[in-house]
Amino acid sequence: MPPLLDVRDLEAGYGPISVLHQLSLTVEQGEIVALIGANGAGKTTTLMCLSAVVKARAGRVVFDGRDLVAGRVPAHEVVRLGLAQAPEGRKIFPRLTVLENLQMGAYTRTDHDAVGKDIEKAFGMFPILRDRQHQAGGLLSGGQQQMLAIARALMARPKLLLLDEPSLGLAPQIVVQIFDVIRELNRQGVSVLLVEQNARMALKVAHRGYVLETGRITCTDKADVLLNDPRIRAAYLGE
Amino acid sequence: MTEFCQFVLIGLVTGSLYALIALGYTMVYGIIELINFAHGDLFMLGSFLALQLVITIGVAATPGSAPAPPAPSTGAAVLAIGLMLVAAPVFCAALNAVVDRAVYKPVRAAPKLAAIVSAIGVSFIFMNMGLFWFGPVDLNFPSLVPNTNLLDGTDLRFTYKDLMVVVVTIPAMVLLTFFVRYTTLGKAMRAAAQDPTAARLMGIDVDRVISATFAIGGALAGVASVVYGLYFNTVGYQMGFQNGVYAFTAAVLGGIGNIPGAVLGGIVIGLVRALGSKYAGEEWSEALIFAILIIILLFRPTGILGARTREKV
Ligand SMILES: Nc1ncnc2c1ncn2[C@@H]1O[C@H](COP(=O)(O)OP(=O)(O)O)[C@@H](O)[C@H]1O
Ligand SMILES: [Mg+2]
Repeated sequence: MPPLLDVRDLEAGYGPISVLHQLSLTVEQGEIVALIGANGAGKTTTLMCLSAVVKARAGRVVFDGRDLVAGRVPAHEVVRLGLAQAPEGRKIFPRLTVLENLQMGAYTRTDHDAVGKDIEKAFGMFPILRDRQHQAGGLLSGGQQQMLAIARALMARPKLLLLDEPSLGLAPQIVVQIFDVIRELNRQGVSVLLVEQNARMALKVAHRGYVLETGRITCTDKADVLLNDPRIRAAYLGE
Repeated sequence: MTEFCQFVLIGLVTGSLYALIALGYTMVYGIIELINFAHGDLFMLGSFLALQLVITIGVAATPGSAPAPPAPSTGAAVLAIGLMLVAAPVFCAALNAVVDRAVYKPVRAAPKLAAIVSAIGVSFIFMNMGLFWFGPVDLNFPSLVPNTNLLDGTDLRFTYKDLMVVVVTIPAMVLLTFFVRYTTLGKAMRAAAQDPTAARLMGIDVDRVISATFAIGGALAGVASVVYGLYFNTVGYQMGFQNGVYAFTAAVLGGIGNIPGAVLGGIVIGLVRALGSKYAGEEWSEALIFAILIIILLFRPTGILGARTREKV
């Protein structure tokens, strides 16, 4: 079976700045893949490129059999194809309620009854969101916003979920909770591309990993192999 | 006291008209941070279209030609008003959305100044279209709504015309509020205004939502233009500028980008104008509006209702 996501020789940047260089990676159906790298390596740019918010300058992004770059698929169509993102900094709509934020996650869907059921499912996964459903998203704590960001992305019923630094700025016990959710979602069949600076946590939950350095993939392997690689341990695991 | 109440009444009625125009400024600003200088002139073109319509169906005379047609029957007047209230909003909505696509969208990625200068350019183009359409002199807009007092027997005047303004503007604003709060497109508009990138990640076609915002703001200006013509019975190619400035002031006063704020600002501007012309003299009412604007901006730059909005996440 071909991979769910097949990225080949991707080039992207901002204006005169070139950020990604011949970036290639794949995500198989049912996999959790970690993309780790230092601050400024280009992780967010990669995810934004996959979501077509940042334009690819060259290369291919084949998702579920369709080349998004060649097809010039706009950002709002990418979601419809089954690729959703919980972006860096969460990007919760601050003056929409929690419930409205979730509804926006389902914007592309027309099966309104099923959307209602999925909102119930999201509340089951994150009960705090049910209690806060009529509050403005901007009033939630960081951890609650991260839960809302993930739940909101799931409302699109994605085949592939992109997560950009879900642990950033959160208390350790919240981080554990978030990673438990990622594992559980994956068990339910959602494939995940996980961007993290917290490399240890990411590689523990992932099947495979890629290391990104200044816009280039420098290393890729099974997650447990990367976890035990002395160079990775020195550079990203603080040893 | 009666006099005071009378001018409050006038202020509320004209204020709801300014509010309707102010909503167009505030909605567009809320979503793309553009002060749409052409909005007042769009309002003017709406009233011209309405006038053209009543001339074409024979309810009003062609400007400059005598004699005036006989006063229309009630049925014909109601029909004419109904037609105008459909045609002008549709025309203004379409024109505003087309201008967004043709003029503002191509410069969306450029620095803000490009869009602002474009808006000023569109304002001039609209004004010249008006000039070309009906010429430089003020025109009579037919008086299709009677001026009979509904509060006969009291010292107050509240005419059918006043009633017409309220009966059209209030439901329009209620409808808009309902639309923005509860419909999917309304929520998408707020989402795109708060975080356009996140909106795109939700699958929202932000360009389409922006066009819809222009269309809705334009439709409200179209409604206001008909009500204005029927209320004041004079229209002219420069009416967009003055009323645009009042409405813009109303929008800023209420907190630009804030929908209830625009309504509140419009009412306040209407009241200030009415009471100002009563107690300070007609010539001072305009100065008064700007003085209040400056004071509010100095001490509360986000406007009356604008403060609680911009929390950063
Ligand atoms: N909007 C932008 N405009 C210009 N440069 C940017 C922009 N966003 C990111 N960059 C640059 O691109 C590089 C990669 O950034 P990013 O993808 O955010 O890295 P990461 O997510 O790995 O921290 C950095 O050098 C950053 O300064
Ligand atoms: Mg990043």
